[in-house]
Amino acid sequence: MIDAILLLAGAVLLLSTRTTQMLVGYVVLAITVAVFVEPAALSSPLSLALFAVSALLKVAVAPVGILAFVRANPKAGDLRPSLAAPVRLLLVVVFALVAHGAAVSALGDVALQSVTIYIVLCGVGTLIVHRNLLSHVIGLLVLGTGVTLAGALLAPTLPESVELGATFDALVATFIGLALVRAFFAHNAVLDVDALRSLRG
Amino acid sequence: MIIAISVAAPLAFALGVRLVPQRASRRVARLVLAFVAALLPFAAAGSVDGLSLVFATLVSALGLLATLFSAGILADDWTNGYAIWSSKPVYFILLGAFWSAMLLVVLAANFAVLWLGISLTTLATAFLVGYSGEPAALEAAWKYLVLCSVGIAFALLGIVLLAHTSIADGLAPTAALSWTAIEGHGLRGSTVLARLAIALMIVGFGTKAGLAPMHAWLPDAHSKAPAPISALLSGVLVSCALYAIMRALGVASALGVGSFASSLLAWFGAFSIVVAGVLMLTQTDIKRLLAYSTVEHAGIVAIALGFGGPLGWFAALFHLVAHAFAKSSAFFCAGIVQRERGATEIRRLHGLWNASVSGRILLGSLAALSGTPPFGLFVSELLVIAAGVAAHKWAPLAVGVVGFALAFAAIARAAIEIAAGAAPGRSAHIHARSARPYARLAAVTATVALSCALVLAVLPWSAFGTVLQATAARIGGGP
Repeated sequence: MIDAILLLAGAVLLLSTRTTQMLVGYVVLAITVAVFVEPAALSSPLSLALFAVSALLKVAVAPVGILAFVRANPKAGDLRPSLAAPVRLLLVVVFALVAHGAAVSALGDVALQSVTIYIVLCGVGTLIVHRNLLSHVIGLLVLGTGVTLAGALLAPTLPESVELGATFDALVATFIGLALVRAFFAHNAVLDVDALRSLRG
Repeated sequence: MIIAISVAAPLAFALGVRLVPQRASRRVARLVLAFVAALLPFAAAGSVDGLSLVFATLVSALGLLATLFSAGILADDWTNGYAIWSSKPVYFILLGAFWSAMLLVVLAANFAVLWLGISLTTLATAFLVGYSGEPAALEAAWKYLVLCSVGIAFALLGIVLLAHTSIADGLAPTAALSWTAIEGHGLRGSTVLARLAIALMIVGFGTKAGLAPMHAWLPDAHSKAPAPISALLSGVLVSCALYAIMRALGVASALGVGSFASSLLAWFGAFSIVVAGVLMLTQTDIKRLLAYSTVEHAGIVAIALGFGGPLGWFAALFHLVAHAFAKSSAFFCAGIVQRERGATEIRRLHGLWNASVSGRILLGSLAALSGTPPFGLFVSELLVIAAGVAAHKWAPLAVGVVGFALAFAAIARAAIEIAAGAAPGRSAHIHARSARPYARLAAVTATVALSCALVLAVLPWSAFGTVLQATAARIGGGP
């Protein structure tokens, strides 16, 4: 069940054309992973506190911040994908197949290996496929979520370290990402990554 | 406890200075407290190993120089830029946070805290790179944020895999990320997982170190940041990322994948040197040339580590220290020259030899960075070549030497163009304020950094050199 939810959420990230659609896919993915990670996070007060902060950042602060920005600046709602929809669909299939094939036999029966690799690939794919800078913030958050899931699966006895990583990943992407987006939009009135091409060579 | 105090001091002092009421008193307090913050890590000398101590010294020395330089060159012309973070108080607080984060990296005892420090450097420096708030600076900050965030996410994935391998091999969870514990335990688990973990860590931290092909953010960020921040990014942040790779390399040997990690690093290094050498030949902006030179020097350290052994490790550490001072001096002078001429394009900097002291120091720094004697980098590059010969790694060595030649040619060409010609008249000096005491402080800071790069030529025979040799012998497996 959890596999299917994460698979669909990952597909939504790549197939969306509007920021709000992508946010729905991201929030579903983040909540699903948070629910999966939560039992390990309960093992100590520190890990629980860090889990609460990272969940708050990923599930509430970042989505609300992005949504508020899009509402105030409707032009930021277009994700401006650089690939056509059929190609993006093909990419989703390729990511799923690669993730399925890339599961490391040395990890034995560690659950959700393929799904974790798939989420990481979707995070990187989101950064590449869409030209809207807000989608890049979401891509970084997705990548961080994938790494958090990997941490919960591979090192369940180290919840503090895993949650520390999750919290700072979310902190960097949310605060710096949104602050730079805001400053960039104030200059250019567009959020297209193609506008970031003045520094070359 | 002393480690925690040393790490927190730069940020705490930067915040504390805001409480000093008068502007002049605040300046003095900032300089005095920077000296105290720079000295504090030495109190932790007994609690950390030689490698951490070497890097803590480097971070402290250059953190202090950057603060002095900032107080000097930026004292008179603070202008509020376009962004909300473009103000003097925010600048010094972010500088303090950056300094603290780098100390956290080099004084950490395990990979989780080290990763946290690297992550915190991103948090502090993204705003410093985009400090001016101008479109080009914001573009540089964005690239820095995205590429380095992806890099450190992969590094975290590698750390998680390392933890899994350690715990599966019987190490207690509390010690699973401690390099001392892993090296002492001598793990022999899955080679596939160990290789994957180390490769992810090298690629992840290598992104922050600016190793090619993950270097795309570096030339933009280092050229668009304010001069003291460029100096810290090039001289120390890259060194901190390379320090993380050194720790990963130490663990790789304990995991039985040392030769795999060495080969990977040697090739990353060789590729970085040659890519940087080629791109340096096409540069028309002095700060961008210096930024690409950082990619080259990060590659030299990586290739030396890849060659391995006590000689390779010593060459890497020596090169790293010498580069940090030479590059800082170069960026400091580029900042002063940019202020004097209002430009960083090489063609507009002609006649610098006759124009000002800072121009002559810049040319001296370029000579140091090109590996010309009598500077420390000349000695360290010879040591790197000797380490390659000793390791019989001929292919990466050959590629690296070609890169050395290209980089030398690029710097020599720029230096000749900058030095030659007549200096423009006084009226062409857009922001000439060399008479002011704080501007003189900036020039003195650049001179001190270049002097260190020069003095380091005798480092192998000094007391600090003995510490480096002992550290290299311990990690590199020598006597």
